[in-house]
Amino acid sequence: MDPSTRDGIDDDRSGRSRVRSAVGDRRSFLQAVGASAGLLGLAGCSGGGGGGETTSETSADGDSATSTSTSDVPAPKTYTEDELFHMDEWRGDGPQVGERPNEYTGLSVLDLPNLRGEITVYLGGGEGGLYQEAMQRIQNLYRDFTVYIRPASSSQLANTIIEEANAGQSPADVFWAIDAGSVGVVAENGATVTLPDHVTQSVPDTYHPTDEWVGIMGRARSIPFNTNAFDADEIPNEVAAFPDDPRFEDEMGWAPTYGAFQAFITAMRELNGREATKQWLEAMQAHGVRKYGNEFQVANAVATGELSAGFSNHYYSRLVYEERPDAPLELAFTQNDAGALVNCSGAQVIKNSSNPETAANFIHHLLSIELQEFLGTRGFGYPLLSSVPPIGNLPTIDQLNPPELDLSTLANVQPTLELLREVGAL
Amino acid sequence: MSALDRLVAPFARARSRDSGLPTALVLLSGAIAAAVLSPIAWILLRVLEAEGGPSLLTHPSTFATSIALVAVVTGASVVLGVPLAFLTVRTDLPFRRFWTIAVALPLVIPSYLGAFTYISAFGPSGYIADLLAPLGVDSVPSVYGFGGVALVLTLYTFPYVFITTRASLLSFDESLVEAARTLGVSRIEAFRRVTLPQLVPGIASGALLVALYALSDFGTPNLLRLEVLTQAIWVEFNGFGRETAAMLSLQLLTITAVILALQSRVGDSTQGAYVGTRASTSDTTVALGRWKAPALAFCASVVTMCLVVPLGVLFVWFRRGSSAIGRTRLVFEWSYASNSVLVSVAAAVACALAAIPVAYLAARHRSTVAELIDRATYIGYAMPGIVLGLALVFFGVSYGAAVDDLSSVIGAASYLPTLYQTLPLLIFAYVVRFLPQSVGATRSSVMRVDRELTEAARLLGESPLGAFRRVALPLIAPGVFAGAALVFLTTMKELPATLLLQPTGFDTLVTYIWAVRESGSYGAAAIPAFVLIVVSALSMVVILSQEK
Repeated sequence: MDPSTRDGIDDDRSGRSRVRSAVGDRRSFLQAVGASAGLLGLAGCSGGGGGGETTSETSADGDSATSTSTSDVPAPKTYTEDELFHMDEWRGDGPQVGERPNEYTGLSVLDLPNLRGEITVYLGGGEGGLYQEAMQRIQNLYRDFTVYIRPASSSQLANTIIEEANAGQSPADVFWAIDAGSVGVVAENGATVTLPDHVTQSVPDTYHPTDEWVGIMGRARSIPFNTNAFDADEIPNEVAAFPDDPRFEDEMGWAPTYGAFQAFITAMRELNGREATKQWLEAMQAHGVRKYGNEFQVANAVATGELSAGFSNHYYSRLVYEERPDAPLELAFTQNDAGALVNCSGAQVIKNSSNPETAANFIHHLLSIELQEFLGTRGFGYPLLSSVPPIGNLPTIDQLNPPELDLSTLANVQPTLELLREVGAL
Repeated sequence: MSALDRLVAPFARARSRDSGLPTALVLLSGAIAAAVLSPIAWILLRVLEAEGGPSLLTHPSTFATSIALVAVVTGASVVLGVPLAFLTVRTDLPFRRFWTIAVALPLVIPSYLGAFTYISAFGPSGYIADLLAPLGVDSVPSVYGFGGVALVLTLYTFPYVFITTRASLLSFDESLVEAARTLGVSRIEAFRRVTLPQLVPGIASGALLVALYALSDFGTPNLLRLEVLTQAIWVEFNGFGRETAAMLSLQLLTITAVILALQSRVGDSTQGAYVGTRASTSDTTVALGRWKAPALAFCASVVTMCLVVPLGVLFVWFRRGSSAIGRTRLVFEWSYASNSVLVSVAAAVACALAAIPVAYLAARHRSTVAELIDRATYIGYAMPGIVLGLALVFFGVSYGAAVDDLSSVIGAASYLPTLYQTLPLLIFAYVVRFLPQSVGATRSSVMRVDRELTEAARLLGESPLGAFRRVALPLIAPGVFAGAALVFLTTMKELPATLLLQPTGFDTLVTYIWAVRESGSYGAAAIPAFVLIVVSALSMVVILSQEK
């Protein structure tokens, strides 16, 4: 990590104005208008920086007592890079980052309501500490705002929140989980509150099928393949083709105990039905597919040549690539089938939170242009704010062809488990 | 009444009072047993919620695999542990002190870490395969599956048998064998009729810990891909099938109960209960002679498998991690180590305190009630951490809600402390899981204390409690201490319950290892793993220094 970046952010906490003056004239626009409104803690200022107009949606919980009522949130607009808050410090500088856009559409943290008080976030997964760092950076933007983070596996936290809700009250204000299934199951168990429209509006409907949660970062199912074995155009564009193709016999790997794989099979059940899914699973097994403990292992095995190809999230191949830049590993994507599923991390506000408005505004910060740039350029996920492109040689999120599917249905893993057991894959 | 009778009568009274069950001790021990059994209530609650009602045998083949794994790992641990104990206690093996510590040390390495390093070393395209490839060896035996899991679990649990067998051997009164021999019994017969019965309880108590560990471990079968009950439970929780997970947990506890019943039959023979108070005075060390070289080779190969392989792999990770791109943003802090030590010491002290009444009752008052209480404390040891964790989440929050209700009814601020996500609840979880280690060590030390000593103290006018405090306690202290040290080092390694119940922001070595491993950054896991091993190894030295 670049240490200067970190110092800059730490400075923000102790003396914001010092940082801003250090940035100098480039930020003259901010100094003049929007910056003081959003970030200097002057309560009640509307983000009149550029657009001026405020959104007309109704407040989710009708709490009008605070100064940061939701009517203060302006509509999304287009910013040049200079109009955003220190984009160069949010952006990563890894070898895969490359060219970035000059303009972004959405909302800057400068124009979001101030955060105040304390919230507890249950964090399921989180890209190797990236999500934690993102939340710490948000905390550092404000003097009187503290985030307490409880990391664990996302399904474990979902189970925990459900148990907590069963027994009384969860200490969590926000649940941010690496998979849509976990936030989906918490919502199904009635442990969440509805998010305000201004939080969810900038994310495509696919990534917030209900208003009980909203997607933050996406990740795509992919076919990692060894480039010594195949060229990109030799990989079938539908998962259904793999079991019939002799080139893949005894050459593929999957991780059936792994959540992302189970989400893929759940999607297949939803799209093609149980019987077709069962046939596909059996055909793959007859084809000699090999089992691994998780999808990082699958991607790794493809990179080492132990396998020629496999089923994994795009993310894990990127991780292998990062550790071994010369790994003979590339990704292929199928089209419009379960193999093309795009899952996402999702966030939600937990019922009976003592600070629901701050919790919702906090989630809104995760969807700001700056945080999406941060998460997208320092990790390998797909920013769900479509004006923030993914990095590397990845296709953009609108170039992927995910199937039409309500991501909340991914929570329905139970029949998938039964199916996987029935065919002996588990 | 004769003079003799008058002299004996007080002893007889003391004896009879002592063998009757003391109510206070039974109540105290019973309360401790009930507390550590309480998480089972949550399992039953969830089982009853299951659609179609509870069914006990949902995954027959998984059930069978778990039983087979327990049998193989326990058997293999005895086969490894007993000869090693014999070699280090009763022979002229060179560097005995070194081997004693080296052979016990694998206990400080979490088995999931062992499994991880074994995959790195022996997996397809692992370090060993890379080394052998130029020599024309193109495939190594797979570490995955039943064989690999059994191997790794055995390597990291057999020291339980080693330690308990050593303790039996050290306190074994060799003059008994000599007596048998002078009575004309052959050497083999003397071993079978005198030595073995004395060793069996020690071996069995170590084997019990191995069996329950093998049954409850999740990390190793998960990493090495074996479908056992804990793995099935984990899969169900991941898929939000909490009812099925609870049902599987019940199956697991059923196996536990059977193992406990079996062990009481083998390990509780009354001949074994009387162990001499003095180690042998005569020098009965066995000269190895030409067996010295094979014996050394045996010790060396065990230590290589258990210690050299994982430490070597960790070192490679460490070297690679320091040069590779820093994938993880989670920076190691030394407070993780002090947090680990803090909770582990607290758990050790709590277990030691809770174990004393249970162990004392079980050792001194042989009765069904005492035995049931003693056995009950072992159940939690086989409870998967995730099940225990969720059970305590439920009870912790329920308790909090009850306190809230109470204070709203009374209309006053509650003086009752919250429990959920606090250290006391976390430490209670450790007590549930690890109490048997303390109970076992304490009970065998109580058995070794001459009963007449406390009776003499009573005769001299001490109260039962006073006699215990002034006479028995100093004598059993080494056992209590050894048990506590064992709890300390298993708590250092515990992961699943810690993740669920830690206070927010309270990170320990294992939760840090979990977090960086989750991000696939092995290099970053090396430092905390080393720290964990070194700190735990120190407590192992403490355990072994308690030996005579």
